[in-house]
Amino acid sequence: MSNDSPSLISRLWSSVEFKLILSWLVVVIATALLDTNHTYFNAPGESAQLILRRTVLLGFFALGSAIIIISGGIDLSSGSVIAMSATVFGSLMIVLDPQGFKDGSVSTTAVILSIAGTLLVGAMIGTLHAWLITGVGLPPFVATLATLVGLRSFSRGLTPTVTMGKSQIDFPDDKLREALKDVTSITIAFVLFAILLWFLMSRTVIGRHLTAMGGNEHAAKLSGIRTDRLKWLAYVIGAVSASIVGIITFADDGSAKPDIMARGYELNAIAGSVIGGCSLQGGIGTIPGTVLGCLFLRTVIDSVTKIVGAGADVFEGMIVGIVVVLAVTFSQRGGSKLSDKKYFANEIGWSVIPPLGILSGLSFLLFFGKREWYAPYQAFLFGFVVIAALAVRAVLESRSKNTSGPS
Amino acid sequence: MTPPIISIQSVSKHFGGTRALHEVSFDVLPGELHAICGENGAGKSTLMKILSGVITSYDGALQVDGNSVRFSGTRDAEKAGISIIHQELNLVEQLSIAANIFLGRERRWGGVFRDDRGMERAATELLHALDCDIPTHRLAGSLRVGDQQLIEIAKSLSLNSRILVMDEPTSALTEAEVERLYRVIAKLRSHGTTILYISHKMDEVFHLSDRITVLRDGQFIATRNTRETNPAEITHLMVGRDIESLDLGPRSPIGETILAVKNLSLAWPGHARGYRLKDVSFELHRGEVLGIAGLMGAGRTELLESLFGASQLTPTGEIWLDGRSILPRHPAEAKRYGLALVTEDRKRLGIFNTMDVGRNISMCSLQKATVGPLLERSRENVLSQSMVEKLRIKTAGLTPPIGSLSGGNQQKCIVGRWLLTNPKVLLLDDPTRGVDVGAKAELYRVIRGLCSEGLGVIVTSSELPELLTLSDRIMVLSEGRKTAEFPIAEATQEKILEAATRSWQSHSKPA
Repeated sequence: MSNDSPSLISRLWSSVEFKLILSWLVVVIATALLDTNHTYFNAPGESAQLILRRTVLLGFFALGSAIIIISGGIDLSSGSVIAMSATVFGSLMIVLDPQGFKDGSVSTTAVILSIAGTLLVGAMIGTLHAWLITGVGLPPFVATLATLVGLRSFSRGLTPTVTMGKSQIDFPDDKLREALKDVTSITIAFVLFAILLWFLMSRTVIGRHLTAMGGNEHAAKLSGIRTDRLKWLAYVIGAVSASIVGIITFADDGSAKPDIMARGYELNAIAGSVIGGCSLQGGIGTIPGTVLGCLFLRTVIDSVTKIVGAGADVFEGMIVGIVVVLAVTFSQRGGSKLSDKKYFANEIGWSVIPPLGILSGLSFLLFFGKREWYAPYQAFLFGFVVIAALAVRAVLESRSKNTSGPS
Repeated sequence: MTPPIISIQSVSKHFGGTRALHEVSFDVLPGELHAICGENGAGKSTLMKILSGVITSYDGALQVDGNSVRFSGTRDAEKAGISIIHQELNLVEQLSIAANIFLGRERRWGGVFRDDRGMERAATELLHALDCDIPTHRLAGSLRVGDQQLIEIAKSLSLNSRILVMDEPTSALTEAEVERLYRVIAKLRSHGTTILYISHKMDEVFHLSDRITVLRDGQFIATRNTRETNPAEITHLMVGRDIESLDLGPRSPIGETILAVKNLSLAWPGHARGYRLKDVSFELHRGEVLGIAGLMGAGRTELLESLFGASQLTPTGEIWLDGRSILPRHPAEAKRYGLALVTEDRKRLGIFNTMDVGRNISMCSLQKATVGPLLERSRENVLSQSMVEKLRIKTAGLTPPIGSLSGGNQQKCIVGRWLLTNPKVLLLDDPTRGVDVGAKAELYRVIRGLCSEGLGVIVTSSELPELLTLSDRIMVLSEGRKTAEFPIAEATQEKILEAATRSWQSHSKPA
């Protein structure tokens, strides 16, 4: 092996994976210290289980999304594919073993066939995506936008048809439910799935070709790579991974409500991939990075829930938004120091300072408004502190303009 | 002695760890045409980017008209009277000619409404001054490269630029367009414009310039008065060694027919002519270099793409490779049959910018590096390394990103990528475009070496001298048809040009 590159340590140090592990540790330690209920100390097993379950449920289809992103595409449909798969899984069980479904004990054959059928439906959705993109020639964004909207609606139509008029399918079998949502087994399944995809992407010809296609599709085709087939593979992996999550989520939630189930999850999957180092331009990204990106994202969400108190669902979107912006900002800055970059030194930069201050003050109110120690002046004060800090930064940045150049 | 209009003083620039420029100093005199020569990677383009405000952080100083300047953007440079015509043109293809010329400085009335008519009128005048009368409401994207370049020049005129930097302006032009460009340059000079002219092409540089500055490896080597020097000396200064002896040794013996093409045609729906290629027939032998000459748009690239299964539509006709009839519909099939194509547009169609040198080389032959289903990195490295050595690719190992290599070495990587597939026929589409003199000679030697191993090679080129040096036989295309074929002994620039400009109508009706 000729390894005349920078030393292993410096390569490790600059890798996304390493930075994510460090940031993750920081978040965990900060939560352990700042959480007034000391949940991480009092119930470490429970806390770990919670985070793990959420990470696995996000990670499965985020990995699918990551492969599509690395290969130069995008999949907006995963939330709807999850809802559709849960619906299809439930419907298949009803159709294959109607009596067992009513009695709360579905036969093993019916369960296995239903799972296989659901995964097959996932593969069919992936095939549909690939055809819309390669055959019809739609941009991936449009093709998967169509199925994002369409498949959820389809599932809502399917549900009353198989349930005789109900708008949701309840999970029929408690034993099966416990088995499917068991955190140990789904974690093991996820780890195996991740290892499989990791090998696919980093150690096989197909993985290299997928990455190459994401980097330069024209060049890939002219290198004799069958890009259409690769796209099919990527979108099938994406949709099937969402189907797996659909089956587990059905068990986890106890019912499949196609109108609200997994709504907006596709963006979490894209967020997890991007935090994990995937470039939306394609050609860049890794499987371990995406796994860590999802773990980091779920841990931050958990951490905010612990520190702030209830309302995790409400603030989840805010947290995802902030984490994505920060993660990409930090990874984009490359080798240059944070202090060298100018964020606020123009008209747009100045104008964003007041909204950022107001948002910060209001967030303070939302997070801590119900605490005993809270008084309204604190939210105002916090907002003003943010504005003042950013203004100082803006002034420093504009000053440094004159002295920039050779340093 | 007149004071210099531009004075470059110990300018240095590093990109990460690589040194692009090191303590470069020289002066440019007002009104002169000052050529900057150097191999790829010599630092020419970097220096010009500093001069035109594209690169703003560097060490050293610049003076314009005796005043120290430090541009913080291209606008600053434009204010100081410096414009640059980049090698890769910067036009918005979806906008009209006039809109492009006034982009960012749109004329308005009432301070709000765009004055499109006024801009079109002004643009027409500007183009008229350049002997060009294309309607200025046409979209920039619909123009030929040569005309697009004139638009850029017109733009610099509208900025009242006193100093014009031209970065390899003729690299994509036909002979006729080059002639027109020369006329435009003469006109600009008669108005006192100072021109900095970057080029590899010795004939151009000696035809146009007053003085020549040579850069090598980011360092200033020399400035010479054009009248007191000769191409051999400049080339010597550029390369740092003699490459005058472009003797590629004896041609390899020519073997049996390896590729036979009969009546190959490629339709062109929606175009007046109706076809991109029409009834092209030729043969290629083992150990032979067949050169394909033709103006831009003659169908050179389309011919190679059709052979390789990379054309949008499927061509008609017969292709016989090694006695077997093939008509590949996808590059993957062509590859399996033993064809290899090195594309013209290296950046867009050749390299994988996010990958390192080794992975770029091994891309087409990964199957050879697998153990079971898994890719074995060590085997892959052996493959790539073998090509680095065989083609003498200048790189610090297999792990640097491909983009860190010079154009010539990137091209060698792509040639290596295809050699690893053991092709029978190698198709090279303008392989030396944007490659410097030294690396060109290297590529010529590589191509000849491959012939002696029994490969058949088809080469296209926009430079006739190159085809004359390299080929055993030259075939000429014009407007999608084959108009002539010459054994190398009978080929001359005049004959080829005559055949390349012959239109089919006049050809079919003998005078």
